[in-house]
Amino acid sequence: MTNGWIDIKNADMMLVMGGNPAENHPCGFKWAIEAKKTRNAKLIVVDPRFTRTAATSDLFLQIRAGADIAFLGGMLHYAIETNRIAKEYLVNYTNAAFIVKDGFKLPEDGLYSGFDAASQTYDRSSWNYEEGNDAGSAAPSHTAAKAAAPAPGTPPPLPLLPAKVAYDLTLQHPRCVFQLLRQQYSRYTPEMVERITGIPKDHFLKAADLFTSIRKDGDMKKVATIMYAVGWTQHSFGTQIIRTAAILQLLLGNIGRAGGGVNALRGHSNIQGATDMGGVFDSLPGYLKVPNPTDVDLAAWLKRITPAASKPAPWDSFNYWSNTPKFAVSYLKAFFGDAATKENDFAYQYMPKVDRNYSWTQIWDNMYRGSVKGMFAFGMNGVAIGPDSQKNIDALKKADFLVVGEIYPDETSEFWKSPGINPEEMKTINTTVYRLPCAGFAEKDGSMTNSARWLQWKNVAVPTPGDCRLDQDIVAQIFLKVRELYQKDGGKFPDPILNLTWPYVNAQHPALGDLAKEMNGKALADLTDPKTQVTIKKGQQLPGFAWLKDDGTTSCGIWIYSGCWTEAGNQLSRRGTEDPSGQGIYQNWSWSWPANRRVLYNRASCDPLGKPWDATRKQVWWNESAQLWVGNDVPDFKPDSNPKDHMGPFIMNAEGVGRIFAPLGLFADGPLPEHYEPIESPVQNALHPNQSNNPVVKKLKTAADKYATPGDGFNIICTTYRLTEHYHYWTKNNQMNVQLIPEAFVEIPVELAAELGIKGNDKVKVTSARSYYVAKAFVTKRIKPMTIDGKKVYQIGIPIHQGYRGIQEDEGKNARTILNRLTPTVVDPNAYTPEFKGFLVKLEKA
Amino acid sequence: MSTAQVVSSGRTAGETDGRICRYTLGERVHHWLGAFTYVYCLITGLAFWSPYMFWLAVLVGGGPTARFWHPWFGLAFAFSMFWMFKMWHRDMRTTDADRRWSKVMKQYIENDDQNLPPVGRFNYGQKLFFWLMFYGVILLVISGLGLWFVESIPWSLRWLRYTAVTVHVVAALATIGGFIIHVYMGTAMVRGGFTSIIRGEVTTTWARTHHRLWYEQIMSGTSRKQ
Amino acid sequence: MSQATLAIRKISGHAGPAPGEGVERDYQVCKLVDTTTCIGCKACEVACLEWNGYTFTDTVFDNSYQTMPQTAWNYWNLIKFNEHEREDGTVTLLMRKDQCMHCADPGCLAACPADGAIVQYTNGIVDFQQENCIGCGYCVSGCPFDIPKFNPATKKMFKCTLCSDRVSEGLEPACIKSCPTGCLHFGSKDDMKDLAETRADQLRENFGFEKAGVYDPAGVGGTGVIYVLHDATNPEAYGGLPKDPHIPWVVRFWKGPAKWIGNLAMLGGILGVTLHYLRYGPKEVHPPKNENGGQP
Repeated sequence: MTNGWIDIKNADMMLVMGGNPAENHPCGFKWAIEAKKTRNAKLIVVDPRFTRTAATSDLFLQIRAGADIAFLGGMLHYAIETNRIAKEYLVNYTNAAFIVKDGFKLPEDGLYSGFDAASQTYDRSSWNYEEGNDAGSAAPSHTAAKAAAPAPGTPPPLPLLPAKVAYDLTLQHPRCVFQLLRQQYSRYTPEMVERITGIPKDHFLKAADLFTSIRKDGDMKKVATIMYAVGWTQHSFGTQIIRTAAILQLLLGNIGRAGGGVNALRGHSNIQGATDMGGVFDSLPGYLKVPNPTDVDLAAWLKRITPAASKPAPWDSFNYWSNTPKFAVSYLKAFFGDAATKENDFAYQYMPKVDRNYSWTQIWDNMYRGSVKGMFAFGMNGVAIGPDSQKNIDALKKADFLVVGEIYPDETSEFWKSPGINPEEMKTINTTVYRLPCAGFAEKDGSMTNSARWLQWKNVAVPTPGDCRLDQDIVAQIFLKVRELYQKDGGKFPDPILNLTWPYVNAQHPALGDLAKEMNGKALADLTDPKTQVTIKKGQQLPGFAWLKDDGTTSCGIWIYSGCWTEAGNQLSRRGTEDPSGQGIYQNWSWSWPANRRVLYNRASCDPLGKPWDATRKQVWWNESAQLWVGNDVPDFKPDSNPKDHMGPFIMNAEGVGRIFAPLGLFADGPLPEHYEPIESPVQNALHPNQSNNPVVKKLKTAADKYATPGDGFNIICTTYRLTEHYHYWTKNNQMNVQLIPEAFVEIPVELAAELGIKGNDKVKVTSARSYYVAKAFVTKRIKPMTIDGKKVYQIGIPIHQGYRGIQEDEGKNARTILNRLTPTVVDPNAYTPEFKGFLVKLEKA
Repeated sequence: MSTAQVVSSGRTAGETDGRICRYTLGERVHHWLGAFTYVYCLITGLAFWSPYMFWLAVLVGGGPTARFWHPWFGLAFAFSMFWMFKMWHRDMRTTDADRRWSKVMKQYIENDDQNLPPVGRFNYGQKLFFWLMFYGVILLVISGLGLWFVESIPWSLRWLRYTAVTVHVVAALATIGGFIIHVYMGTAMVRGGFTSIIRGEVTTTWARTHHRLWYEQIMSGTSRKQ
Repeated sequence: MSQATLAIRKISGHAGPAPGEGVERDYQVCKLVDTTTCIGCKACEVACLEWNGYTFTDTVFDNSYQTMPQTAWNYWNLIKFNEHEREDGTVTLLMRKDQCMHCADPGCLAACPADGAIVQYTNGIVDFQQENCIGCGYCVSGCPFDIPKFNPATKKMFKCTLCSDRVSEGLEPACIKSCPTGCLHFGSKDDMKDLAETRADQLRENFGFEKAGVYDPAGVGGTGVIYVLHDATNPEAYGGLPKDPHIPWVVRFWKGPAKWIGNLAMLGGILGVTLHYLRYGPKEVHPPKNENGGQP
């Protein structure tokens, strides 16, 4: 979330799309209700199903799963054409005025410039800004040197953003970002939106009018927020959907403002924490990029991952990522302590170099192909998560070992007795399964990071039952044993293991408080701030990441969490309920990264002179007499940057401004979002039938990876979701939850059910190209038939929760199929999230 | 079994004060089964009827106990009524004699019995009472089932719940009216009647007085005599 | 339930006055359910079960998100889900928390024959006292909302207590505490009525729900649970909320005039036969005169 849960109450307009907060985030959704009650805020819900969120909405539109970019692109088109945009914000706080290099091409045919069909990748060098000055007063420059063609076999030299970007503050230059944006989405007319999304033109216009009404006549006071969840991310173009939303919010001037933002509603209590902590293969804690084999030494790595400012010459850019070396070196110091010295590049070479894609589906693919031999599965149910659960089961059959740390026996740890495996086959499965009973959330302390980036400390409520052990103890004990083996037997490269710091008081049972302190970071030498003369003694906890050094005098496990456990103690357990501004900022409640800021980019809540756009929702402002940024929230800005210097509010971007156009390598599939069809779609792309799907998306190629077409008889769109009554694959073990929703079901439109002779509660079978799923029919009026590009299309929806292990399952009351047997193994090219939403199935009475 | 054929031997000699068997053992058993269960239902029913009579429930073991047994006793009463029906329904048919009798019922009420037309084993009033109880119990059982299993009547058919209440009340009140008269007549008004339902016997005089046609039937040998 | 701070105003099946009769309290308690902000999360269902100590029962999926068809003796709080087609052809999902309405004029209490099995406290809560309940089920017929439910094991009736045990200790009912969206409110009837009307005004003026209104049916003297509805003209759409609920006239008649008519009739019968005896006395047995052998 750029903003936070409570901040939603400050909104005047809310768009919920690709999410169902009323059901999946009921406690957070109270703030949407609050906005409705206290501000008369309007709620627009766009979803393939009429959800319980829709039940509280002012306007609901039923969209075809996977057509989100078309809808949002249509909104962009509408906002531009009706001039309902935040002009001053757009010019000053986004790259709308930046001029893009000659040679960049928009995807009228479905492809941006630089596509290489053989490798299914883009040469992204043309996706760059033009170097220059104010182009509004000068003729377009064509002098920028073309990047030299790379020699065959070698990776192309890293293109860089120009330090001095050409710009046109009148936004008239044909290659300025704003004009490209207008041109790109001029194709997303209401008629086109109707053809692609299935939303009737007049309904769409109603929504577009309502949402953009906050910028009627250019008034900047009102604010709109957008909330989304995995309904957006789980597509083969998921990242680009979110990009479209971000662009819309930049266009309307809603980012950085109370009641605005683009807000990811995270689906687990600590999934934000997992992401912050580098829970993906291409990111280290604090969103540092992982080293790859081309980073031959620390300097090379830091050079690659540290951006240089790129902006119009008269403007200023804080470019906060220029501090990357401080974060990275402090991170290495936290990892390897005294073994990380200036001389050995702070043990940089201990770091693994990531040479390829190690994302979720890839891991399973590799296991299926036999190259991954074992797996540790803690706190997740890999078989049930899918996609293509059967492939995952088949992969596990080939593994040597599987270690599962869980609180219930789950589908993963019992993969070897999943339905369809007979006793004969069972004998042939040689995977050794170790089941380690772990601790539930109430049985351990520590912190969880919520969607609002708050780190909230919790205490132990109950002891672990029976033989269960704390997860951190299990991991620690495995590590210590491995280290012992390395000490005894040596190995190929024992140094990283042997030199890893393990400074916990009780090595076998590391206290999570110790870990939090380590993440916060401490001074390894006496430090003095030259400006304020404040001194921090060696060994003391750091007050925040501003103190981090790249010379080895600080250590910090994750820079964005620095400030969470200072000399003043555990900031995460703070429970102050003061809210002087009434905006729900609650500065003294827990602690929010970064630096306890509640709304990111909050400099953008003020006009270029530093005055809040809306005086009734003052977040931060420029205090002329103090020559400082001050406010109710912690300014997300250089505190003493005078507005006259025109420093951009988006300090994490090298440009200092919000990126409507995402240059160079930021995204694999385009600097501006374009609508592509899901890999399995009932129709061809109405914009460019010859390039229907995302061109850079690669299908996997094992025998298990099958993809359907309507021609094969798969012509019903299926989407998946969670129910408020259940939590993922766990609560089917809890009687209370099972009582609320006892059985698996498939939501089927009344009309489709009538066609197929299906009545409510009938058993039905859903079949995809991969496998089938059996459940009871939930015949509902809340999903209606749609007309997509003139074709009648049905959508059905299936909750994910049931499987072959749980109270009902154990009693034989469910069909014991896992929903994700149906889903395809195809992923978003940027985030590698599988396309769980919008695949094709057949439906029949079972 | 519809008529009492057995005339008991007079304990003393002579026809005139001989005794006639009016009710067989089976008839008496069923009468008293009916009487006992009806009275139980009456007591408990009255307790449920009015707060001022709720104390009656306490007499028979308290409200929950009363509520528990009331329907079962009701069923037992219905059973006894069913047997009485089997035994007596032929005797209970209205005859021409009854019709004549009914026209001058006022005289009967005023004990001006001398000129009443003769009646059979049961007079018209008794027959009325019988049929009142018979149809009453049918209504009571049906409506009572509705009250007993009130939750199994779906909400959409809730008019049935209300009908059940109404019918039960009306039928109960009607039987109570009959019951009061029955008890009064059986104990106070018609001497010998009470003994007859206990011992089964009446004197020939009694029979001749109150049920001339029946008496004559027996005396004429259409029925057996000892 | 705790009666220490809950004076009783009305008592079922009771002869004579109730101790709290005529007591004027500063406020009546009231639960406000704003159906326009209900998200059907069922937190109130679970909170109700947990507070009242009821556990898991087997349920069966029935083409709905609804947990079970109606409330049960051990499931007092149920969200009713209704797919409702609006006039313009669009579909909406109406969700309403169903529970005892705590009528000012409670039909259950009127129908109940058992002394003290149902009481109404002076704060408006209608509460079942199972130790006095005889399990007759008359309350089922008396209730216009189909709320009281029979426990076949204990043969007692049960329903929502409005958490009288919590309320008597100054706490809000468990359902209120658990509601994540603030769709449930608890306070004095006046305040809740105010809040509800304000919200209904807001819905009419700012959200286009021209028929929005408050459900506080006069037919039962107003209720201790009131609803804000998007369309107050059609409460039936919300899982069969009766449009004009009142104690069934049969029950009214039964527990009112019928009782006195019946009592009088019975008394009349007894008096009648007594008078008859006094006037006419017993019937004489007439010895045979000239027939069949004459007198002895």
